[in-house]
Amino acid sequence: MSTTVTETADPSGSTAAGSDVAPARPRPELRSSRRKALAGSLANVSLAAYFAFSLIPIVFILALSLKSNADQTTTYLAFTPTLENYRTVLGIGDGGSSYVRFFLASLVTSVGAVLVSLAIGIPAAYAAARYRFRGSEDLLFTLLSFRFAPELAVIIPLSVIYQQLGLYDTFVGMIWVLQLVTMPLVVWILRSFFQDLPAELEEAALLDGYTRRQAFFKTVLPLVRPGIAAVSLLAFIFAWNNFIFPFTLTSSNAQTVTVSSLAFLGGNQVQFNLVAAGVVMAALPPLVLALFIQRYLVRGLSFGAVKS
Amino acid sequence: MAAIEVQGVRKKFGKLVALDDVSFSVADGEFFCLLGPSGAGKTTTCKSVAGLVRPDEGTVRLAGHDVGDVEPNHRDLAMCFESYALYPQLNVFDNMASPLRSPRFRLSDDETRERVGRTAEMLGVAQLLHRGVDQLSNGQRQRIALGRVLVRPAEAYLLDEPLAHLDAKLRTAMRAELKSISHGDLNTTTIYVTHDYVEALSLADRIGVLREGRILQVGTPEEIWDRPCNAFVAEAFGKPRISFVDGGLVDGEHGLRFVSSDGAVEVPVPGVEATAGEAVRIGVRPHDLELHPGAEDVPAGRVWVNGVVYVLEHLGRQTEVTVQVGTALLSVVVPREDVPDLARDDRVGLSLDPCAVHVFARGEDERRISS
Repeated sequence: MSTTVTETADPSGSTAAGSDVAPARPRPELRSSRRKALAGSLANVSLAAYFAFSLIPIVFILALSLKSNADQTTTYLAFTPTLENYRTVLGIGDGGSSYVRFFLASLVTSVGAVLVSLAIGIPAAYAAARYRFRGSEDLLFTLLSFRFAPELAVIIPLSVIYQQLGLYDTFVGMIWVLQLVTMPLVVWILRSFFQDLPAELEEAALLDGYTRRQAFFKTVLPLVRPGIAAVSLLAFIFAWNNFIFPFTLTSSNAQTVTVSSLAFLGGNQVQFNLVAAGVVMAALPPLVLALFIQRYLVRGLSFGAVKS
Repeated sequence: MAAIEVQGVRKKFGKLVALDDVSFSVADGEFFCLLGPSGAGKTTTCKSVAGLVRPDEGTVRLAGHDVGDVEPNHRDLAMCFESYALYPQLNVFDNMASPLRSPRFRLSDDETRERVGRTAEMLGVAQLLHRGVDQLSNGQRQRIALGRVLVRPAEAYLLDEPLAHLDAKLRTAMRAELKSISHGDLNTTTIYVTHDYVEALSLADRIGVLREGRILQVGTPEEIWDRPCNAFVAEAFGKPRISFVDGGLVDGEHGLRFVSSDGAVEVPVPGVEATAGEAVRIGVRPHDLELHPGAEDVPAGRVWVNGVVYVLEHLGRQTEVTVQVGTALLSVVVPREDVPDLARDDRVGLSLDPCAVHVFARGEDERRISS
């Protein structure tokens, strides 16, 4: 495609030059720079197109959340926007609603799950990166299998176990079960971060007179901070968005916002606009968090960026 | 300061044998060079002494104590890594101060500043102290890594290729600096790993030559230069490298004589522990050969061989001449002004002192058999 463009640019030059003079050919560097510029603008156009495309569901849900009950089943974007849905969902002027409680429950379980995963996962990832021991690969694979095994496969035994242990509908129970979601992420991603660091860094610290623990905290941990930030965010998003575990393992006390948003679908009238308002608000925490740690995220998600 | 004793150390990484029965000892205050090609096990040896690699077999003693169960941070050794291993999140000053801030060797802030300053001054990096590690050239990083070692007194220094990444000029300067440090005020036991024989010869009190995980020879630079234990060690020292000629031993009037396979070289080899008929290889160092461009009388006591010039390399004041004698190639170094008109394919004569000929047995180990 780019050759046709350089050729269309060419004839104007060669006809003007006449027959005596050597035909003006575009200099190679010129051609390649034009080609690059063209490729760049093509990429930009297609990116913009994709951006618009991927924005459609978000625009749709935002619009729906601002529609009145009468407009909620139309697909037009022409309507009188109202914040009534948000008021209803939050129970403003109505003495509060359970949505706020479920929202907080989501925060507690997600943050708790991430913290527990970090506390156990960081040392685990370090060990997995640095030491080979009997069964270490099997252990890691088992951990990974939590990610690709369908959650539905374990949900029935899990709910029975939870009922019997008294973990059903508790925060501890939710944080525990979310480890299936967050722990593999933390261990596998951080492991590659640790592997990217030369072991000689810790060895140098040992010879400088630091203990193994100090060597870890002083030299290794600061270097994987971008990785920890990135993996925390990812784990938080996965925990926050998880639906099946809170749906089956909680009822009212520890129910999360993903499940409770559906409550508006039941009852006498199906209120998609209320669901939309609830969902939009539920999307805010991961978004805000992502904006806050964006600086780390870019570095953290490009693996190996911490190499010196 | 402490003596280091390495005895029968073996180490395997998977199926790869890194160290195969390595034994040597370094006396208190001695400067010991480990020389070998890459992959010989030099770094693994160093790390075994440091406690970073746990040997499968064998013992490491520091000051007479077996340190097999002593953690690296309790061995009081300082090591300079070939990869520098500088802490990327710290600046130059904090990198060099790191050992002085550890619980094991802690000093007051004032003392730390003073020592780091002094060490940086000595290494010529004082103006870099507030830079980040990522703002340094490789040569500067290497000097900082060395500085982190020299900043504190230690039982011993383990220096793994500390000059390898410096440019030639700086390397020579730093070599001289290291020599004055090591033999001067510090006088600390040092194991110095290098693949550069010049460094080993110039710095070491004694040299250990390592190849494929085995120690081939341990000795003073003079011993190793004069009496290399096998052809490999002979070849590892000297540039241009020692020239080898293959042939066999025959009986002569005054004892055994070496005759090359093509008959072009014939040298008496007195004092060789072998019998006539045995296949051997002789080695002659370039500086033990003399080039005679014209036909001259054979100098007394020297052996004459005829050849043709094969390659001429003018290197500043000196000229390296490779002479083809029969099928063998012999290197010789001569002052440039001695051979102004020499050209390729010119007929020349070479003379050599039979006593300077190294004789090696053929076979796998090519061990030295001349006295």
